[in-house]
Parts: sequence; C-alpha cells; structure tokens
Amino acid sequence: MPEKESAELSIIRLLKDAGGESVSGGDLSRLLGISRTAVWKHVKALRKAGYVVTACPSKGYSLSFEAKSSPMPFNAIEINSGLETAFVGKKIFFYPELDSTNAKAARLARDGADEGTVVIADFQSAGKGRIGRKWESPAGVNLYTSIILRPGIAPFDAQKLTIVMAVAVAEAIEKYCKKRPVVKWPNDILIASKKVAGILMEMDAEADHVNFIVAGIGVNINMNLSEMPPDIRRIATSLSEAFGQEISRIEFTRTLYSCVEKWYKKFSENGFPFVLTAWRSFFASEGKRVIVKGFNRTVEGICAGVDATGALLLRVDSGKVERIISGDVDHAGGV
Amino acid sequence: MDLKNIKAIYKFLKETDIVEIDVEGPDGKLRMKRGGVVHEVILENTSRPAKAATAPESKKDSAIEKPDNIKIVTSPMVGTFYRSPSPDAPVFADIGSLVKTGQTVCIIEAMKLMNEVECEYSGKVVSILVENGQPVEYGEPLFHVEVSK
Repeated sequence: MPEKESAELSIIRLLKDAGGESVSGGDLSRLLGISRTAVWKHVKALRKAGYVVTACPSKGYSLSFEAKSSPMPFNAIEINSGLETAFVGKKIFFYPELDSTNAKAARLARDGADEGTVVIADFQSAGKGRIGRKWESPAGVNLYTSIILRPGIAPFDAQKLTIVMAVAVAEAIEKYCKKRPVVKWPNDILIASKKVAGILMEMDAEADHVNFIVAGIGVNINMNLSEMPPDIRRIATSLSEAFGQEISRIEFTRTLYSCVEKWYKKFSENGFPFVLTAWRSFFASEGKRVIVKGFNRTVEGICAGVDATGALLLRVDSGKVERIISGDVDHAGGV
Repeated sequence: MDLKNIKAIYKFLKETDIVEIDVEGPDGKLRMKRGGVVHEVILENTSRPAKAATAPESKKDSAIEKPDNIKIVTSPMVGTFYRSPSPDAPVFADIGSLVKTGQTVCIIEAMKLMNEVECEYSGKVVSILVENGQPVEYGEPLFHVEVSK
C-alpha cells in the first residue's frame, strides 16, 4: 500500500492499544518519527475532533474510554475497531475529502489493493452517479464508500453483483432502522418513495476475466434535507429524517460492511437465485405501471418483475414483454 | 461463423427494413430471411474469403479487405453502449483517434454496472460500429482498430 495513515490516527491507535494506560510523549515521538511538539499539536487536534486525551506531565498521554464524546469521530480507526467482518473493511482508506471514492478505489485496485479494501470520504467534491450524474456529497453527515471486489466470475455475469449490493444495502438500512426500505430497479434504495441510498458499480475487466469491481455506495444518513436544494429535497431523504433521530455513522458503516460481506458470500456459496429472492422481497414495482427512461428512448408499461439474471421485464401496451438492462425506472404518477 | 456474429446480424436485420441478407465469412456462408415473426437461418460451409460483416455502415468494407491489420474491439457483456462518460463529455474515441493498448474506448452499462472497455490494441480507430446509447450483445463488434504493421 502506498499510503500511510495520518499521525493523528497513529496516535489514537497507539493510545487505544495501551488500553487507557499512559504513553509518554517521547515514545510517541519516536514511534511516529515526529517531534514532541508535533505530537502535542496532533493531540490538540484529536481533542478538537472529540477524543478525550489526558496529558499528565510525568507519565504522558492517555485516552479516556469512559468519557465518550457524542458522536464519536468518524474515522478509519473507529469504524475498524468494532468491525466483525473477515475481509470487507479490513483495510480502510479514509479521507476527509476526495473527488470520488470510486475513482480512488479504482486507482488503489489497479495498484493491487486486496479484495474488501474500502475507501471512505467524509466529503466528495465530484461524487458520481449514473452516466456522469452527480451524487450530492456534503461533509460530516453521510456515508460515501467504495468497496473493492475481485469476484471469480465472468464479465458478462458481473451485473448480478448490482443485485447483491442492493440486497446488502437494503438489509443494512432495514436492520439499523427497523423499517423495510424499498428497492427501485436495479439498486436504488427508497424510504417513503424518496432515495436514501444509491449504488454505482464500476468494473475493470479483460475479455474473459474481471480484474476488479468497485462498488460505490452512497447513503444519506444524517443529511438535513431542509438545507438541500429543492430539486434534491423532492427526490431524496436521509435515515435521520425518515426516523426522526441522528444515526451513528460509525455503527451504520460497520453494519453495512457486514451485510455486504454476508451477501457477497451468499452469492458465491448459495448462488444468484438465492440472492435474487431476497432482492425481490424489497422490490415493490411488480404489477405497477412504470416509465423507463433509456438513453434515447422512453418506454412505459406494466412491470412484470425481473428475469433470472435480474433484468427488468416490462409489458408494454402492445402486450409484448421487453427485457431492460439499463435505464431509470419511475412509477407512473409517482412511486 | 460463431453465434455472436449470427446474433449481431440478426439484430442488424431486425433494426432495419431488410428482409433477407447473405453473409459470407472465412468459415461459412449465412443467409437470414425474415417475414412476420419467422426467422429462417441457413448455414452452409464455404471456403471463400470474407466479404461482409455485421456493421450497418459501408465504411468498414475497406476493413474487411485487409483483415490482418484491422482488429475488432468487441463487447465483453450485454449492455448499453456509451461513447463518453456522460452525455456532455467528449467521446473516448472517434474515427481517426489514435488509441493505445489499455485505453478506455467506451463504456458498456448493464444494470448500473459500468464497464470501461479498454482497447486491446494500439492503432487508429477506423470505424465505430454501434451508435451511442444502443444496446449491444455479448461479443458484438464495437470498433475497428487499424494497427500499424
């Protein structure tokens, strides 16, 4: 890995490892290869970020575990320390700001990053949606993460992972919030007809081999919709808005990674039909009149469900069933 | 002639008003007719040289006459073909563009999975066989790239 964690995170890691015991400024300075003054500056920054770090002149620095700040700072160490996964999120690249987590994850994957490596940004300056669209990515409130996957499947099968990820994100939202979200084909997650999460998958493949897939997931967690532009407010919501309370981004992120790992494993162990059955349980468009906007054509009809590959089936007015593999689905007259 | 080429010809036929087509390749001859919903496919062997292929443009006829240095970039999956990362962004590659091995030439989307298709050859794009936003089949030819000998 070409990137090192920041000095602040290293200090937190060392203090956590010490389990509440003091670590001298001299030791920290030596271990990090920075001056004692620099250590002190970083400690001040950590306090500002919400950590309770005690400085005792004779002993050094210690981290208080009782006096938890609320909420805990959103960073790689906090997410990682309570994570119960085998590979998803075991390596976290956390950035206060990025252009796009997908772009960063693709760069890391090209450099050989392991499967399950994740990228998180607190803020995205160029968060990506489908076909060059923007994903609203304000700082301090949401989760923007990209997961590197290296599935042993053929490129033409890879779109099935879109369904796998949709189930994982929907389940994380449901688990955390005790309310059943709805999946809009193929992988938008809605609460009360408004988008709470979106997924954008990007693949790097040879003709017969997938090098890697980046699963980009954006979840609106504590975003205050009243601060967003009206066109966003009309179509988007956040977990906190839907459930009336702030949600820990750290805990949600851990839950999400667990769900992603679970369904990714089920996909390889139990097969795609098993995952698709779970996906269908979140899908609410079947039998409803929908409008599908493609690149240069729009079709309308009754949604006849999805086929065995996850493609959308649309019964158009002539009675013919069209199989759709890309496009935006909207319910006629609102969801 | 393999299945993917037959599929591509079938698709081409469907999208046009042509009701009957004869195609000859190095490994066979194909005649496809359509009337109503019946599609008749006849395959027979022949050793005559390649003369036609699957693209709806005549530009690429020159490509078929010198197949040695014309390489075909095909679609790795079923999906929608995009020539640029977003509708108002410049295209990845145009006719006449010089491309290198590993360079992205288009995106194929299937169910919000975006696949940046990389060119496996270095050379010049001489034809683009699919229109922006059109569905493509697995193995369908997308570009002809003229490689330098």
